[in-house]
Amino acid sequence: MAAAIETKQLTKSYKSRQAGTINVVDHLDLHVEEGEIFGFLGPNGAGKTTTIKMLLGIIYPTSGEGFVLGKEIGDMDVHRLISYLPERPYYYEHMTGLELLKFYGSLFGITDKDKFVQLLEKVNLHRDMTKTISQYSKGMQQRVGLAQSLLNDPKLLFLDEPTGGLDPIAHREIRDLILSFRDEGRTVFISSHELSEVELICDRVAIINRGVIAAQGKLTDLLKGGRIEIVVEGVQEALLSDMKITDANVRTLPNGFMLDMPEENDPNSVIDAIRSQKGRVISVVPRRKRLEDLFVETVSSRGANS
Amino acid sequence: MRPILAIASTTVGEAIRRRVLLVILLIGVLFIVVAPGLGILSARSETTVLRGFMLGVTQGVSCIIAVILTVYMIPNEIERRTIYTILSKPVQRWQFLVGKYLGAVFSLLLMMAMMSAVMAFVFFLQQQSKNVGEVADLMKGPMMYFVQMCLLAAVGIFFSTFVAPLVNFFLTIGVFLLGTFFNPLFQTLQENQNTVPFVKLVAKGVNTFLPNFANYNVQNPIINPTSVIQNEGRYYLGITVYGVVYISILLIVAILIFDRREV
Repeated sequence: MAAAIETKQLTKSYKSRQAGTINVVDHLDLHVEEGEIFGFLGPNGAGKTTTIKMLLGIIYPTSGEGFVLGKEIGDMDVHRLISYLPERPYYYEHMTGLELLKFYGSLFGITDKDKFVQLLEKVNLHRDMTKTISQYSKGMQQRVGLAQSLLNDPKLLFLDEPTGGLDPIAHREIRDLILSFRDEGRTVFISSHELSEVELICDRVAIINRGVIAAQGKLTDLLKGGRIEIVVEGVQEALLSDMKITDANVRTLPNGFMLDMPEENDPNSVIDAIRSQKGRVISVVPRRKRLEDLFVETVSSRGANS
Repeated sequence: MRPILAIASTTVGEAIRRRVLLVILLIGVLFIVVAPGLGILSARSETTVLRGFMLGVTQGVSCIIAVILTVYMIPNEIERRTIYTILSKPVQRWQFLVGKYLGAVFSLLLMMAMMSAVMAFVFFLQQQSKNVGEVADLMKGPMMYFVQMCLLAAVGIFFSTFVAPLVNFFLTIGVFLLGTFFNPLFQTLQENQNTVPFVKLVAKGVNTFLPNFANYNVQNPIINPTSVIQNEGRYYLGITVYGVVYISILLIVAILIFDRREV
């Protein structure tokens, strides 16, 4: 599949009197495929927004190269095919929702009022399009931001913390909109702290920490390594130990034992073996690895190494 | 051209809603309205005092508006992140900067036109002769002040591409005061035979680079009919062309700086 975003050793450095040269983004190799929702994660100050700004051509890389939709970053032709929703955006408060779209539309040479109304309908703001932005709630401002980001029918959307500071209902609305973008064939690049949200909607993620990519890949691959806990009664501990399951632990409980094993093992064969020895299976609980676990693991291990 | 005009019109929309600017404008208009009452405070002719006071208020208020309007223009856009949504669209940085500048100029035009209209009306009512020609003569002042304020706005925008608003405020005011008062001092230095050549050279350098705001202070012939500008039309055209050239140079340098700036 073609790459929507590709960076090779992309670096952004700043000079500081106290600390010398600081690499805010350090030799970043990023690969985002067309048509996917890509989560770009990292703690505060990890270099997420700097990376996005470089990809948008707003700031200039110190070294390395980057390509957006096959063209070098900063190419003005690409700006016709992409859009950006910044973190906590501010829009001219004196404008109505409709006027705001007219303004951003005029930057593309779009003057079709029907299109503006359609976009406001898409983000469920058509009933409030004559209200000024100052009268909009946070969620409404974020939705009008998404509407402006769709004006040019973009192939690639950069969304920086799109659900930050929103209530659960607004969260869900924005999430549904983002999922609809993928259904329409757009590529979505999301920078976010909302890990549960990212886990729900992203196909692939990259975790950046201190300017360096600490993990990158498909969520299904990165979240491999879950475990299964089976609680049993009426069998000897030796039976569980003799099964010779790699990386399994047996813990003694008041009325039995708990077998904790990697999810790659087939729980049915274990259950059959227990039952054949007249044992009773009390519970089988899969403990899936969460994105939050991966994030904390990745960020803290890099933090400890550095 | 469309993005420039869109940015300019949005800038005007914002400017005319900024309370601080509206309050300053209102104070200016109030001063102009009460100006006829001030004639009694001076021994000079009432009309002379009225003209001088109204022109002074218009220039002073316009100057404050021009500075406040421009020093925050670019930093505000960066701080509020509006610049990112604009520059991520097919808008070049120079288009953004020119759009902001034109927005500032249109805003100044609106505000100065309002003050001038009130001034013309008050002056007309106060006149014994109801001479429209004299009112038109009075309007030459605000017209030249407008060119002066466009130049001042360009200075403000220029500095706003690389310095913080507070520093910019003092820099722009400083350049305005220097540009207003340095030229007469320079003339004196040039004419004085006792001036050291090195001082003359430095003064000439400063005078060349500094925008000459004093050119536009045309109030003397308006206030005092005995003082006349030789070849008036040519003079006004000349200083307008000077202003346009200076503004263009300032904007080009500002664009070059802003183009490399990390926002």
